[in-house]
Amino acid sequence: MSVAQTEPVLKETTREIVTAWERTTSSRRLYTVIGIILIAIGFVGSVQYADEANAGHFFERLPHLFDFLQWLIPNDWNDVWRALFDRASPLDNGSEAYDFAAGRVYVWGDFYIPEYFELMITTLNIAILSTIVGFLFAVPLAFMSARNITPSPAIRFGARRICEFLRAFPELVFAGLFAAILSAGPVPAIFAIILHTIGALGKLFYEIIENIDMKPDEGVRSVGGTRLERIRFAALPQVLPNLISYGLLRLEINVRASTIIGAVGGGGIGEELRLAISRGFGAKTLALLLLLFLTIIAVDQLSAWMRKKLVGEHQFLLAH
Amino acid sequence: MFELKQVSRVFGRKTAVDSVSFAIPAGQMVGVIGRSGAGKSTLMRMLNRLTDPTSGSIVFDGLEVSALKGSALRSWHRDCAMIFQQFNLVPRLDVLTNVMLGRLNHRSSMMSVLGLFSREERIMAIAALERLGIEQTALQPAGTLSGGQQQRVAIARALMQQPKVLLADEPIASLDPMNAKIVMDALRDINEREGITVITNLHTLDTARAYCQRIIGMAGGRVVFDGTPAELTTEAVNRIYGADGAIDETMTSTAINLVPSPKPVAAGVLVSAVH
Repeated sequence: MSVAQTEPVLKETTREIVTAWERTTSSRRLYTVIGIILIAIGFVGSVQYADEANAGHFFERLPHLFDFLQWLIPNDWNDVWRALFDRASPLDNGSEAYDFAAGRVYVWGDFYIPEYFELMITTLNIAILSTIVGFLFAVPLAFMSARNITPSPAIRFGARRICEFLRAFPELVFAGLFAAILSAGPVPAIFAIILHTIGALGKLFYEIIENIDMKPDEGVRSVGGTRLERIRFAALPQVLPNLISYGLLRLEINVRASTIIGAVGGGGIGEELRLAISRGFGAKTLALLLLLFLTIIAVDQLSAWMRKKLVGEHQFLLAH
Repeated sequence: MFELKQVSRVFGRKTAVDSVSFAIPAGQMVGVIGRSGAGKSTLMRMLNRLTDPTSGSIVFDGLEVSALKGSALRSWHRDCAMIFQQFNLVPRLDVLTNVMLGRLNHRSSMMSVLGLFSREERIMAIAALERLGIEQTALQPAGTLSGGQQQRVAIARALMQQPKVLLADEPIASLDPMNAKIVMDALRDINEREGITVITNLHTLDTARAYCQRIIGMAGGRVVFDGTPAELTTEAVNRIYGADGAIDETMTSTAINLVPSPKPVAAGVLVSAVH
């Protein structure tokens, strides 16, 4: 039995629907193919343009990539551990490349914190402090920006523009500005990250707040609650787990930001990393990269775990 | 004593409530019936000023309700408690805190925001829950309760307000028959024991007949019936719902003791209903 025999007989009008569907589908496919071709042309063209605009040609220089990285390979691989934990190196000849033990930070007696760990703590501290302060400023700004909480268009407009302004500049721009006023170090880094965090979180938060269920709010309003009480009892319990979750995500981002700002004079581990790279200290660079890598993974995992716990509970309650 | 004079509410081009006037003496239990979109909910929300009237005046015991603002308005919200079809509790807060929210207007805002409620308020709240038979749920998040339990929490919250009037906007529309009976019994109990005026929107006619001393029927934003349950004849029901004798109360009834008797239906009627 052939397929044609089992095909149902269609009414004239129904058959027209099938033809129309086939027509629209084939034209849609045609547009997709044209679109892919255009994107391919644009991609190849821009790669060529970038390559020509570059001083050394990218593809010609590519094989030399590993020549450049050769200095990273230490004379003695054990030096990476020694650099990390500030143990004296047998290669120590008085130069800064091997003066690992010199950086020890003594706490009491013979107990010391290795230099790089201390710098990592500084960097983490910058990130944690600026995330907390940024969070605390972002929450009220977000409530002032949310249409469902703040009826006054003037206040909403003001709060939203403040967040946009703060978000518009990368941390590095603020850091440069504050470094000029407050001189280099962790303090301008903290101010820079706080300002960007307020802008970034404020925007995320007000979108979360605008999506809340307004029935509890109406309930609190119907008992005669003030605006502050409505925020506290109807809005905040709904959004708090999400706000904290985004705050933790921001902490991850801020650890990286504080490392980068460190590299341009903000103190902490970033500064040390830049020095080690620019002077070609292989063992030190590897030790710093390893520590940075492990810390960032640890922070990401920890915050992912906490966010999962928070949002998990959230989903449980919304199911009812 | 509630007095409404020519109260109207316009949404864009649509007039939801159209020059409604009536008076409700203190202590009455009133049912408001009508089709969906007849303006019942809007009327209810204007009484408690969650919605502002476009024109007209609402007066309660000499107080010009329709002109209130700021803290006077919040005091009115307190005196005119409201329960909702969707309960409007805070699902993440525990039941006891939800009930204590009824005290917000009786206390300092700063203490409330810190979540500091007094021992008297906690005892008052648990007593209200006990009265409604759900004291064992006090520590659960309100969102985990069944619909019937949530509506009773909402009534307990309203009791905490120590109101002069209790409005109920379709309080039993989301509930099963057993819970609907419990909630309506609770409203009647509040009306009879505390002497609080109760005004409730209802969708089931037999509930309105069974519980209310007075029934107000609305159609197209206007009051088209105002009288006792006995006066609510088939003719009056048709005027309210605009259906020519098509409503059989036993079909929509959710009453527990009322058993609808199946009537023989002609085959022709069934066929015409399909097309």
